[in-house]
Amino acid sequence: MIELDAVTKTFNPGTPGAKTVIRNLSLTVDAGDFITIIGSNGAGKTTLFNLISGAVFPSAGEIRIMGRQVTFEPEYRRAMHIGRIFQDPLAGTASNMTIEDNMMITAKKGFRWPKISLNRTMRRKFAERVKTLDMGLETRMKVNVSSLSGGQRQALTLLMTVLSGPDILLLDEHTAALDPSNAAMVMEQTQRVIQERSLTTLMVTHNMNHAIEFGNRLIMMDAGEIIVDVKGEEKQSLTREALIQKFADIRKKAFENDEVLLAT
Amino acid sequence: MIEGIFVEGLIYAIMALGVFFTFRILDFPDLTVDGSFPMGAVIMATSLHAGIHPLNGLMLAFGGGVGAGFVTAAIHNKLKVPHLLAGILTMTMLYSVNIRILSNRANLPLLRVETLLSRVQRACEGILSPEVASLIFFILVLLGLKLALDLFFHTDLGLVFGALGNNEQMVRVQGVNPATLKLIGVGLSNGLVALSGAFAAQYQGFADVNLGQGIVVSGLASVMLGEFLLRSNRIWALTLRVILGAILFKAIMYLGRYYGYYINMTPNDLKLITGLLIIISLAVSNYKRLRAKGDA
Repeated sequence: MIELDAVTKTFNPGTPGAKTVIRNLSLTVDAGDFITIIGSNGAGKTTLFNLISGAVFPSAGEIRIMGRQVTFEPEYRRAMHIGRIFQDPLAGTASNMTIEDNMMITAKKGFRWPKISLNRTMRRKFAERVKTLDMGLETRMKVNVSSLSGGQRQALTLLMTVLSGPDILLLDEHTAALDPSNAAMVMEQTQRVIQERSLTTLMVTHNMNHAIEFGNRLIMMDAGEIIVDVKGEEKQSLTREALIQKFADIRKKAFENDEVLLAT
Repeated sequence: MIEGIFVEGLIYAIMALGVFFTFRILDFPDLTVDGSFPMGAVIMATSLHAGIHPLNGLMLAFGGGVGAGFVTAAIHNKLKVPHLLAGILTMTMLYSVNIRILSNRANLPLLRVETLLSRVQRACEGILSPEVASLIFFILVLLGLKLALDLFFHTDLGLVFGALGNNEQMVRVQGVNPATLKLIGVGLSNGLVALSGAFAAQYQGFADVNLGQGIVVSGLASVMLGEFLLRSNRIWALTLRVILGAILFKAIMYLGRYYGYYINMTPNDLKLITGLLIIISLAVSNYKRLRAKGDA
């Protein structure tokens, strides 16, 4: 589904401020994989997502999505296959437009012509979808998204993201800005849509319990490299302690001080 | 005089709708307007003198404006130049282009040629006075344009425009190229502005390359004044308040021109007044926002 082949990303190359955030990283994501990604700040998780989505281009290496070479393809073009949700609940919706307008915008991918698709059938369909969130939003379809809470907006963003039928879902700490109960709710919805639509998913999280609990594969990043990669049965039986031990074995440094722990 | 205020207000409202499109919906402050407004006027005047049907002249003016907008958007998109600079570049170049269109003249009177307006006035002769005839004509024109715009913003493409000014990232994630949208948006906006210029030339009876000086600021003032008149997020209300704002703006300018001498004001002070109007509008809306935050 996604192949990264010896990808390196250096910001400001050739200057004293040069910073390599991804080092010679290779990763193959299979169709249907649900990969959780953990790592401390600056490990390169978000840059990895930016490389896959095309928000930044690699300094070296190759990226293929669904068998197609996309290394330098602009973001909007490969977005046809990718749905991405950010940590900021404001990033996924247009604040001063209504819920149904927002849903109409994300109902399909790509350029569109001036034709009116938001009719009664479409409105009913959207309201039915929103009803599955169980937040009572289906009665507020003509209300501006700015009046929704962070949790509601993020749940709506999730719903809207899958509406356009992506093949790949990139979740960039999408529950980190929410309070625990909202985070749990959004995570539950996430799990549901991933299973329903068998989406290939990559999820960055600061929550180690989430990383262990969800998905069929876990990747730990540090200093721009993948240092731990567990899948299959090993992933299912993985515990927090085992994960910390693994990290300590590899980097030989006190993991207890690391932010990964603090954030749980 | 009251018809005059309304007619001028309605003519400038077309331009204000264009300014509203770029400033408020696209979040692309576009200064091309100062060049595309006189461009519409000079294209219209030249076509009328060439014996082209006024309706075709309007189409040509609209097309010219769209072209000017394309140039600004292309400079911004391709060369990664900030939108303000891109607009200033096009606006400056248009000054020369406009003089070229007028065959190396700075202005062209329209007194001896038949304009769309004079045709309408003649058709209504005996039934309506020329002033009332032009007023009704422009009300109909504005109504048509407003409905077309409202409809456009309800289409799939129009909705994406709404999202672009709000959240460009969302548009990109949705697989739409923001550069394409800006090209279309700035093009359409300047098409409207040029159309407004074409009508202005016919109403005033001449086209002048200096017609556009400071026009973008008066458009912006109209948009901001309108925002005090109506509170809504519905697109029909947003376009309506732009039109009302433009009429109000013209009324204020008329007051300044005809009664300003009581306070020693001359017509030369009107640009200063326009600027102050915008500053006051900004201050008031800032104050309102702060107070709203305090209440929450």
